[in-house]
Amino acid sequence: MAAQTPDPAPEGEPQERHGWKWALNAPALAVLILAASGPLIIVAVYSFLSPGNMGGVAWDFSLDGWFKVFWTRDIFDPENVSWNWGNLTVFWRTVWLSIQTTVICAVLGFPTAWFIATRPPHRRALWLFLITIPFWTNLLIRTFAIQELIRGTGLLNTVMMGLGIVNEPVQMLYSDFAILLGMAYVFLPLMVLPLYAAMDKLDFRLVEAGYDLYASRFRVLWHVILPLVKPGFVAGSILVFIPSIGAYVTPRVLGGGRTMMLGNLIGLQFGQGRNWPLGAALSMLLLIIVMIALIAYLRTVNRDDGGRRG
Amino acid sequence: MTQEIEIAGLSKVFGQGASAFRALTDINLSIDTGEFFTLLGPSGCGKTTLLRMIAGFEHPTGGTLKIAGEEMAGKGPNARPVNTVFQSYALFPHMTVAQNIGFGLKMLGKSRSEVDTTVAEMLRLVRMEPMADRKPSEISGGQQQRVALARALAPRPRVLLLDEPLSALDLKLRKEMQSELKRLQTETGITFVFVTHDQEEALTMSDRIAVMSAGRILQLGTPHDIYHAPAERFVADFIGDTNFLDLPVTAISGDVATLTLPGGQSAEARLPAGYLPVIGETVTAVVRPEQAVLGEPGSGMLSGTVASSVFFGTDTHLHLTLSDGQDFILRRQNTADLPVPQPGTPVGITLGAGTLRVLRS
Ligand SMILES: Nc1ncnc2c1ncn2[C@@H]1O[C@H](COP(=O)(O)OP(=O)(O)OP(=O)(O)O)[C@@H](O)[C@H]1O
Ligand SMILES: [Mg+2]
Repeated sequence: MAAQTPDPAPEGEPQERHGWKWALNAPALAVLILAASGPLIIVAVYSFLSPGNMGGVAWDFSLDGWFKVFWTRDIFDPENVSWNWGNLTVFWRTVWLSIQTTVICAVLGFPTAWFIATRPPHRRALWLFLITIPFWTNLLIRTFAIQELIRGTGLLNTVMMGLGIVNEPVQMLYSDFAILLGMAYVFLPLMVLPLYAAMDKLDFRLVEAGYDLYASRFRVLWHVILPLVKPGFVAGSILVFIPSIGAYVTPRVLGGGRTMMLGNLIGLQFGQGRNWPLGAALSMLLLIIVMIALIAYLRTVNRDDGGRRG
Repeated sequence: MTQEIEIAGLSKVFGQGASAFRALTDINLSIDTGEFFTLLGPSGCGKTTLLRMIAGFEHPTGGTLKIAGEEMAGKGPNARPVNTVFQSYALFPHMTVAQNIGFGLKMLGKSRSEVDTTVAEMLRLVRMEPMADRKPSEISGGQQQRVALARALAPRPRVLLLDEPLSALDLKLRKEMQSELKRLQTETGITFVFVTHDQEEALTMSDRIAVMSAGRILQLGTPHDIYHAPAERFVADFIGDTNFLDLPVTAISGDVATLTLPGGQSAEARLPAGYLPVIGETVTAVVRPEQAVLGEPGSGMLSGTVASSVFFGTDTHLHLTLSDGQDFILRRQNTADLPVPQPGTPVGITLGAGTLRVLRS
């Protein structure tokens, strides 16, 4: 009788094994702690110190870094405190551009992923391969390529003028539009791939069942396909939103320093600005924004689920 | 009887050029309103393809298809008064049982109260009321099957298409669902077009059966006709066990031929409609194993020896070798006091009148 077979392992042994396992995990844990948390702790500590004269930090506790994130003091009248609109604008722009990037990637990514998922299986690998080609090229080079495309005498303007759509070059470079275009281009594969993964798992017979039950194409999309590929949208949105919030190269090249995002502001503090504590505080803020956004997003997504089922 | 589905000269070719594949050839069918119609055939013979063309998922390469007198060309699945019960059920995993059942009605734009009433009615019909709020992943295979059925029935289609809906179920559940399906069909009066490759399922459930092979309909008739009067070797072979005997024709009168049996005796056999062999020609005749009766050596029309026997519980299959070397299977009901003949035992075989039939060749 199977139920009566005596347990072959003596009592003490599994315990001992467990102890050993912990020891074997130690290198992995050390790497995790040092590589993941270490720099973060350093940044968190730096944000509460004073700036050094030539960059770096002086080991005096100070809330100045955090203060300067949101407020400024009048140079001549230190008692006169006002909102730091410059920074606040950058925060807002960062969040807003990231949201727009995510939405654009979702809108463009869905048909792209759908196209790939509906190709014959042996062709899909090729299309996926094409989608990932941009990853092979350096981000900076790709971004310069976009710059080349949209600058005053660039390809796009030349073509538009040649076709007589516009009479003079349209200023596209160094604007929010340019940043948005660049980010959407760069991050699109991050949306397409998880969406494709979700669609690949989609049972196309469900789509047929939808049609069979009198749903129009649009309603099949809305009631059957979208709910089923939602996990792909969620994963894709997170993958696009997080690097968008922290983007540095794209806004630097395409925003030209005129329109900054949070990443550029942070870079500035560690470079020319020589205010490491402020830079560190901004970095922590970036982290906090990402965390809040993620939590809020996942909550809404999950609440939606509950509602639909109720 | 009015005709629900009329199919004429329908054909389907997949692909083009060298890779073209002819899945259906010249299908002619008419299915009556309220009929339980079965498409029966081996794997790959085109049953699903035909069903999908009726549903509107595939477009015919040639021929016409009418449902309720209306030509269906150019109409999508959502514009046909037909619902499908998919082999895999294809229940929407993100919806509850009740939402699944109500989906079609909702898409038809029915009012909420109407949807709710019909869903409740359907849940009762398939005995799934207690599970209305579960997700498909939270119910068993048999229950999913019932939900799929309820979902397809809820919009009250004129025709219900069922593609091997029972093949994923175990034997006991399958038997249960067979009678359930039959009950639902009688209760709703909806025309059922049922696909199966299980001949027993086809025989027990259908009003009429179309036996298909390699994209063609070979024979169309009632289960009784198909079983007792198979027109072709394929049909006789596919449905039930059959003995095929190659016998010479000695005389023909009307639709009855006189054949010479191994051992020299004569027997009469019915000819299929429109088939007239010549005298002296060897034809294939069939007799079902349960229609032959075992007797003492020398009795009956045929004689042979027992080669082996297989015990099946209710009956025993005796594999015999006839005097001219042809194989013959005989099925005998088991009763407690009947001894099983040992291999090598000589026996006589009696064929009842009208049990022998000639096949078209
Ligand atoms: N989309 C398609 N493209 C090419 N060939 C196809 C396609 N669909 C089906 N076929 C071919 O048509 C033939 C009939 O297929 P069908 O699915 O109708 O068979 P079936 O009778 O339903 O078989 P089964 O009992 O295995 O389900 C098969 O040989 C199949 O390979
Ligand atoms: Mg099939």
